[in-house]
Order: sequence, then C-alpha cells, then structure tokens
Amino acid sequence: MGYDTRGIMNMTNKSKIQIRNLEKTFSTGKTVTALKKINLDINDNEFAVLLGPSGCGKSTLLYLIAGFEKPTKGTIKLDNKIIKKPDSDRGFVFQDFALYPWRTVLRNVTFGLEMKNTPKQKAIEEAKKYIKMVGLDGFEDAYPHTLSGGMKQRVGIARALVYHPEVLLMDEPFGALDAQTRKHMQMELENIWEQTKKTVIFVTHSVIEAVYLADRVFVMTARPGTIKGVVDVDLPRPRNYTDDKFLNVREKILNLLESEVEKSLELTGE
Amino acid sequence: MNETTKKLIKKNFKELLHFLFPFFVVIIFWEIFVDIGLITRVPAPYTLFMRFLQITFEKNILTSHLQASIYRLLIGYFLAAILGIGLGTLMGIKKSISEMFSPVLSLLIAIPTIAWVPVLLITLGLGDKTVITAIFLGGFFAIAYSTMHGIKTVNKSLINAAKTMGSNNKSLFFHVLLPGSLVSLLPGLRLAIGYSWRALVGAEMLAALVKWGIGKMIYSARFFNDVELMFVGLIIIGLAGLILDHLVMGTIEKWTIERWGMIQEG
Repeated sequence: MGYDTRGIMNMTNKSKIQIRNLEKTFSTGKTVTALKKINLDINDNEFAVLLGPSGCGKSTLLYLIAGFEKPTKGTIKLDNKIIKKPDSDRGFVFQDFALYPWRTVLRNVTFGLEMKNTPKQKAIEEAKKYIKMVGLDGFEDAYPHTLSGGMKQRVGIARALVYHPEVLLMDEPFGALDAQTRKHMQMELENIWEQTKKTVIFVTHSVIEAVYLADRVFVMTARPGTIKGVVDVDLPRPRNYTDDKFLNVREKILNLLESEVEKSLELTGE
Repeated sequence: MNETTKKLIKKNFKELLHFLFPFFVVIIFWEIFVDIGLITRVPAPYTLFMRFLQITFEKNILTSHLQASIYRLLIGYFLAAILGIGLGTLMGIKKSISEMFSPVLSLLIAIPTIAWVPVLLITLGLGDKTVITAIFLGGFFAIAYSTMHGIKTVNKSLINAAKTMGSNNKSLFFHVLLPGSLVSLLPGLRLAIGYSWRALVGAEMLAALVKWGIGKMIYSARFFNDVELMFVGLIIIGLAGLILDHLVMGTIEKWTIERWGMIQEG
C-alpha cells in the first residue's frame, strides 16, 4: 500500500478518482501526444493539485476528468464508474470564469439547480447560502460584467458547489487575478474547502499556490505530459508562506520541476 | 419622481437636443437658400411641412399609405425572423448543415434585394405577395447569417459549464446558445429591419397592383409632377427607418446585450 514516487497506484478501489493508463493525443495535421501513461488515484476529501509548466497537459487532464474531452486510451473512473461525458457529479471552475453575462449573480448560481428542476424558492435559498459562503451577499442582483475578477471567480465557485458535485475541478481559477487578490482567494478557498470537505482537483503552475493548498501535489512533465512525482504536503493549515517547512516542500517541488521547465522552454523556443 | 429618474430624463433630453441640432441647422439653411433663390425646383422646408400637415389631417392619405406599408413590413419581417433564426440555428449547431448552406448563403447575401423584384413580379404577380416576399428576402439572409455566427461564437467555456451543471441539449440551447447568440443576433435583426424597409419601398414602387404604401405614394406623385409630395415621402421613409432602428431595435439592445455588458454602450 501507499504511493511510489511515480504516483500512484492505490491498490484498493476506495479512491474517489481512479485514472489508469490514460493517453490523449490530438491530431491537427500531425499527431501530438498531450498525455501519456497517466496513472493516479485521488482520495475522497482530498485536495489534489496538478502542477507543471505550461503546455504539460495539466488542463487537458482536467478536461478529460470533466468529460469535455475523450481519452485516446485508458480510463478515468469516478466512484468506480467510468467517466464518459460531463455531468453534475463534477463541478468545474474556469480560468475565464465562464459566467453567463445575461444572468445575475443569483441566477448564475441557481443554474445547476434549475437543471435539476429544483423548486424555484428552494433553489434561491440554496444559492443565497453559497453566495454568502463566498462572501458576495448583497450582490445577488448584480450582473457579472459589473464585478471585479476576484468577485467573478467567487460566483464561479459558488455556482460549482451549489448543486453538490462529488468532485470540484478547478482549472487555474486564480490565474487571471492580480497577486493580492490571488493570495486572498487562496485563503478563502481553503476556508470553503474546510467547510465543504469536497474532493478538489486544482490545476496551477504556481508552486506557492500548490504548496499552500494541496494535500498532495502531482508534478507533471512537459510534452508528453506524464506524472513525474507526487509530493505530500503534510503541513498544518492554514499554512504560512514563510514557514521553514513550507519552504522545504516548495524547494522539493522546484527541484522536480526545474528540468521540466527548461525542457518546455526549449520545445516552445521561448 | 425621485432624483435618479429626473436625472435620467434630463440626460435623455440633452441627448435628444444633441441629436436634433444638426437637423435644425440643415433645415434653416435649406429654407434660407430656397427663399433667396439659390436653390430652385426644390420646395422649402416650410412648404413641405404644410404639405405634410395637409396629407396627414385633411385627407388622411398618409395614414392609409403608412398603414399598408407597416402591415407588409410586419408580415415579411416576421417571416424573415422566424425562418432566418430557424435556419441560422440549424447552421450554428450542425456543422454539416452549415457546410451545405454557407456557400449558397454568401452568394445570395450579395444580391441586392431589389434585383429580385422583376423575378418576383413574374412569378408571384404584381401585388402584395411580391412586396412581402421582397421584404422577407431583404431581412432573411442577414438574420440567418447573424444567428449562425452568434451560435458558433458562443464561448466554449459557457457551453462546458452548462454541461457540468447537468444541462441537456434542450436546456443548453435555450439557456446558453440562444442568449449567448444575441450579441450577434440582435444587431443582425437590426440590420435586417433596415434592409427590409428599403426592399419594401422599392418593391411597392414596382408592383403595379399595389395601390397604397409609402413607396407607392412617392411613385404616383411622379404622374402629377408633385415634387412636394415626393419630398414629404422621402423624409417620412427616413424618419420611419430611423424610428425602427433607434427607438425599436436600439431600445431592445439597450435592455439586453448592452445591459449585460456583452457590447459597449453606444
């Protein structure tokens, strides 16, 4: 039992998400292998972070788990059921927020409940609870374009949590925010996670963000994307960015990443 | 009435004055030039205004002409909107359909609507059917194209988000694709009503059996050398087009895509 350095196999079937021999290729003219031999298990209530240089396929992996893309080979299981298409057992938070501009904050959040035919009054009550949780009470009737980036992503998080998905998938959710807002959002996300105890899969290329949030960090290689190593972040929460132990973990991950970042820079010719 | 509504009325009033000012300037110079004899054969604004009052109130002519035109416009444009949005939606959703119709559509869109009228006169006769079909053709292509474009350009994340929230094809269409396409569809509808209006005036002139209609009014004035009536007709056509564009379609845009921040305030 336990995990070897490549990650990964949990021999029981208790894991929430189970990925086996996953491969994804794209063919636009020539065939590009985005992901290769991905094996990983994510536990229930775990905060898992996928970390890697840009172009390593971490977002692709998340899109596969969401069901937006189909695997070329291999399987992804959620609660032992193979994932075939997007569904409401997974919530998704987008880097570009993906809020509906024609819906108010409240109606953005009720969207998932409307799809489940929740009675209107109940949907509004539930939505208000989550709007409050992300600290946006008072903004129920605002349209998204009037909100700041940080506020938009709060709506995005409330909207993805309100219909109680099993897993929350977050694709660089704070990537479009300024540094201050980003730090603040990380704190709030941790709070929310403590309250809801969802299984979270969080994609980022920020090492600090990964160490701050993760139970485990899956470090990925560049092109083709594979899991290079798994780093346990066994630190009490809330974590302190300047704590020695925090910096040690960060160092460890940076070492794993270094050669990969170089490789990805070479490949893109930047 | 509270402060904000007062402010709003004041702002709108200012905007209206701003809008009308150039017209006042043109009218004043026009009047002066005609009065001192610099412009001949063109009636002065004052004469036109009196003529306008006469046909509006004394003989009720104008109302009958306008009624006939608006009735045709509503039917033709309504059909264009229904079928245009229908075809545009299919083309936006199904790639095979868009590949099949796109080349044809881009060819047809390049034909001025008035060029259809001779064909329609022969196939559909000299009456209302021809005029209404011309109005339909004027609006249809622009509406179909803008609907397709609107649906195709809905942000992929918005569609993906709906799918993770348990949306099926039907709710995806009504809650995401359709409202998402408005940013292109509404300006398309606005453009189309202008095209339809132009097609209407042209077709009314050419359809011999049509007796009433604002286009017919101008065309018939030719037989009596009635230049005043022609000018009054031209101005009314312009005004009606302006009202349709600014007041009707502009207001719809203001309350939807502009309010939602999908386009800049304009």
